[in-house]
Amino acid sequence: MAENLANKEWEPKIVAIVCNWCTYAGADLAGISRIQYPPNVRIIRVPCTGRINPFYIVKALQSGADGVLVSGCHPGECHYISGNLVARRKFAALKSFLNYVGVEGDRALFTWVSASEGDRFAQVIKGVTAKVKALGPAKKLIKKME
Amino acid sequence: MENIETKLREEAKRLLLEKKADVIIGYEKGTLPLTATPCFITTPEEADKLVWNNLCTQNLAKFVHDLIMMHKNSQKRVKPEDRKKKVIGVVARGCTTRSLIIHLQERQYERDEVYIIGVPCDGYLDGKGLKVAVGGADIVEGTIDGGQIKMKTSDGDKTVALKDVLADSCLTCRFNNPIISDIMIGQNAPAMNPDAEYNDVKDFEAKPIEERWAYFVKEMEKCIRCNACRQACPSCYCPTCFVEQSQPQWVGIGEDKTDTQVFQFMRLYHMVGRCVDCGSCVSVCPMGVDLRKFLKKIDKDCWELFANRAGSSMEDMPPLGKYDEHHDKEDFIFNP
Repeated sequence: MAENLANKEWEPKIVAIVCNWCTYAGADLAGISRIQYPPNVRIIRVPCTGRINPFYIVKALQSGADGVLVSGCHPGECHYISGNLVARRKFAALKSFLNYVGVEGDRALFTWVSASEGDRFAQVIKGVTAKVKALGPAKKLIKKME
Repeated sequence: MENIETKLREEAKRLLLEKKADVIIGYEKGTLPLTATPCFITTPEEADKLVWNNLCTQNLAKFVHDLIMMHKNSQKRVKPEDRKKKVIGVVARGCTTRSLIIHLQERQYERDEVYIIGVPCDGYLDGKGLKVAVGGADIVEGTIDGGQIKMKTSDGDKTVALKDVLADSCLTCRFNNPIISDIMIGQNAPAMNPDAEYNDVKDFEAKPIEERWAYFVKEMEKCIRCNACRQACPSCYCPTCFVEQSQPQWVGIGEDKTDTQVFQFMRLYHMVGRCVDCGSCVSVCPMGVDLRKFLKKIDKDCWELFANRAGSSMEDMPPLGKYDEHHDKEDFIFNP
């Protein structure tokens, strides 16, 4: 077992926190249409991106995620009218501050994917995985569990 | 500021005599040389204790919030018809009024529960900077006279120019005069140098990313999690801070390096649109952590992304509580 694991190339662990009504439905559509995308992503479903506490992203990074993706409905299409608009401001500030402090900007990514964009969801995951893979394993902010 | 002190004492006496305020929060002469400490006066006779000078460091809005909350809690079990209303008077300079505006915008209390005595400000002394300027000697006594600080120290007599040891937040202060007040004592002070306020941030942004991370780690290694910054900050008023929550536990309480980094990062992130740059956190930090390098970036982002300066006016509501559907910046969104 150990030899098998040692030979494999490092694959990033990406946590995706997605909104139930658009992106999760889009991911579902990608699955039903049998569109292939990298298996590195672990999806967490929330009702709306407005519900996402910026702490989730920081905690994910602290727990060892190599990248975090937050994805929601396009502005103007939020199921709860304005959740993604409030989230947009929060995450603009968060991403800028993370980058300023020295955590690479590409470790926390944000996208809009709608429920009919199954193909685009696969493209987003491919793009995100490639970006995070290029950065290498995460070393900053990781808490070692003893 | 001599005649301002005299007028301030008269005004405080008048307010307490006319019962327009139940308590006035101001500054009095501190026990250590060259310090002024917050004081709470309730009788007209105590009004002569009040001082107003370049030694008045703390942002008093914190005490206003604490007192009003204590009073509200004490009234919880009292019948509505028996409840008493208290008015808290406060000696407020520019940054203090900004904090009060934030409290009012966040609906912590009503406008008529606080009586704001506005005073002009030309900055306060950075105690740590002064200690460095006298080479670490013990200051036995000192006075500020015409922009010069004259001291007797364990190392002989020394004189330092006030402008050389003014707190960093004061040098580039944009709002050194009260924005709202019930009464204004004296004339507005001349402007400081607000155009230079983001220079430090711009220099830091230009550094390579690994250098920025190294600096962040180095500063946060000094942090001993005493929470003095949180206690001193007027914007940090949550009854249960996220640090103390255990369901869920957002961040560990110990001194683990990454826990400290996450605590500081998130506490500073909570200040988007709420940090008034009063410098209280920096002045109370026992370890001298360079918090303003990061807080000023939060301030700059708030201005560039949301065109908002924390507490700059009653009409300018907190930026994270609203949105601009068509004009909010989207260039951080990844679009493959």
